[in-house]
Amino acid sequence: MSDKNPYDVLKADVLEVIEESPTIKSFYLKPEKPFEFATGQFIELSLPGIGEAPFTPSSSHYEKEKMWVTIMNAGFVTNEIHKVKKGDVMGIRGPYGRGYPLDVFKGKDVLLLGGGVGLAPLRCLLQTMLHDVDDYKSITVCFGARTPADMIYKDQIDDWTKYKTVAHLCTVDNCKEADNWNGRTGVVTVLLDDITIDPKDAIAVVCGPPIMMKFGTFALLDKGFKASNIYLSMEKKMYCGFGQCRHCVMGKYYACKDGPVFTYEEIKNEEKIWD
Amino acid sequence: MVVSKSDLKKFFTSIQSEFDVFVPYETEREVDNLVIKKFDPEKEYVLEKYRTVDPVRTLYYFPSESVLPPSPKDKKRIIAGVKNCDLMGLAVLDDALLKDNFVEPNYSQWRKNSYIISCDCTDALSTCHCVLLDNNPYPIKTDDGDALFDINLSPVNNGYIIKVGSRKGEELLQKIKEVCSLKEVTVQDKETREAQRAEVRKKVMDINADFTPDRNYDVISENKEPSVWKEFCVECVQCGACTNICPTCYCLILNDESTKEEFKKVRSWDSCQLAGYAEVAGGGTPREYKWETFRNRYQCKHNFMKFNFDKLGCTGCGRCISCCPAEIDLREVIQSLQEV
Ligand SMILES: Cc1cc2nc3c(=O)[nH]c(=O)nc-3n(C[C@H](O)[C@H](O)[C@H](O)COP(=O)(O)OP(=O)(O)OC[C@H]3O[C@@H](n4cnc5c(N)ncnc54)[C@H](O)[C@@H]3O)c2cc1C
Ligand code: SF4
Ligand code: SF4
Repeated sequence: MSDKNPYDVLKADVLEVIEESPTIKSFYLKPEKPFEFATGQFIELSLPGIGEAPFTPSSSHYEKEKMWVTIMNAGFVTNEIHKVKKGDVMGIRGPYGRGYPLDVFKGKDVLLLGGGVGLAPLRCLLQTMLHDVDDYKSITVCFGARTPADMIYKDQIDDWTKYKTVAHLCTVDNCKEADNWNGRTGVVTVLLDDITIDPKDAIAVVCGPPIMMKFGTFALLDKGFKASNIYLSMEKKMYCGFGQCRHCVMGKYYACKDGPVFTYEEIKNEEKIWD
Repeated sequence: MVVSKSDLKKFFTSIQSEFDVFVPYETEREVDNLVIKKFDPEKEYVLEKYRTVDPVRTLYYFPSESVLPPSPKDKKRIIAGVKNCDLMGLAVLDDALLKDNFVEPNYSQWRKNSYIISCDCTDALSTCHCVLLDNNPYPIKTDDGDALFDINLSPVNNGYIIKVGSRKGEELLQKIKEVCSLKEVTVQDKETREAQRAEVRKKVMDINADFTPDRNYDVISENKEPSVWKEFCVECVQCGACTNICPTCYCLILNDESTKEEFKKVRSWDSCQLAGYAEVAGGGTPREYKWETFRNRYQCKHNFMKFNFDKLGCTGCGRCISCCPAEIDLREVIQSLQEV
């Protein structure tokens, strides 16, 4: 039995806040000591006296001194977090859960399919993979957003596509002429029409709003991806983050401790995974 | 060893400076009337009969308490009169809260600091159904490792047979010996114990004569028919009493009460029966309807916990039946599912 209190919190200074879109901000945090995590794992981030919520770091897991967290204003706690300024103090505990199995991804074509704030964990995965980019056969990034203004991380695309094995595709659900959008329009699954990788042995990693995860998964299956090669990052209600509050239980599994990353094969028989 | 009733009370009285002692007392209610309280040498307690109204869990896992920093637990405790259904409940909580790398700070401290003196049941309530769950109305120590009790008492004429179940039990026995004059267990004592255990077991069997002992719990998850479940829960008012009183429920919510100086997290009980339990930002929930919420408790106890801990999350204590304002009987629900 470990004597460590699983609720222990590290103080983290807010070094910078970036407005990514009208509803999404990124926060650059410096924990009081280096914070080790594996890509795909999550943290509980607290705003003292207000509350706490689970988030996935959006920066590489090789970066341990500081981390980015990208947060959508979705309710009570996140709304308060959006008021946080440079110089404020937050709390971090974790990391929790099972992340992406990079060893399995190595040597393969990896497709990242994401929408909305679901790009946060995918950015973490991407930045981590770019650190060892030659280990992967190819990386195809397919990102979607509601409108061009909602598309986050736009300014980083050039940093990603400078590697010849990395491709970036994006789409928005709808746009106006004034937006000057030259990507595709339509839901994110339309991008699958444009991919060139062979789905037979390729890995797909999906993260986004529940409806997008569901139809994204079905589209990938249609396209020929194997259920055991489709990785989903499940977002359920959570308090503790380590299997004791039971709120995130999906049948036999805890989203927090058995996940949040699952293959579709693992959870396809559990009830109501998309709700 | 056999300890007399009066000697045991002497022991509880003398040990109070070292331990907080908790024992069941009778209330004015006619049945289901045992409440566990701090020992009072002036009053008569009841170690036998049946389970207390509240599960012993409430002494280990408070309705609301700080987990960061953990709440202090300096004094050791003796909790006496615990019944087997509550011990089985602690077994589930141990699996849930002490395993993996994540050890619940308050619960683990209480488990370390508390000594359990359990007792055989000598009576049963109409809701008791441990026997349907393959449990007995008395605890037994198996050969592998510590029992769930430190000491168990089996009532025999004007005293109790003492059975030591763990190292902590040995320690306690030494302390008992300092105050009490113990007698050897006679053949007759043993016969009394066995006869009484058999009698109570039969009583619980008879109480549950209408229910099949070999129950198939898979049907709970397999049966997704809304009309079946809706019928069971027509009168459920989603009060959450059934989970708050269960010896194996531990669902929690956290509140952040940090100040500028200190991080502080407070954990409180939650209930899967309350609306909004699994609702996420934006309003999505895996259990939209009342019948789904109602069914979740049955799945959790009999399917999910079985998978998670390799043991059922129901010990057969019957508390959720006794407390339900809608008079829903979990035995009847499970029985009906067998017959659908
Ligand atoms: C593993 C994981 C990773 C995630 N990663 C990200 C990410 O990287 N970026 C991102 O933007 N989002 C992420 N999310 C989603 C994010 O956690 C939610 O958007 C956030 O919890 C919403 O909280 P809220 O209080 O703002 O919303 P609300 O809608 O106000 O609350 C959500 C739920 O929490 C309850 N609740 C709210 N406040 C309290 C309180 N003080 N006490 C008790 N209950 C309360 C509400 O009842 C509601 O059911 C992730 C979720 C998970 C599970
Ligand atoms: S105690 Fe009865 S009424 Fe209350 S939530 Fe449980 S089943 Fe429903
Ligand atoms: S489900 Fe009911 S009978 Fe079973 S252990 Fe819990 S309270 Fe007791």
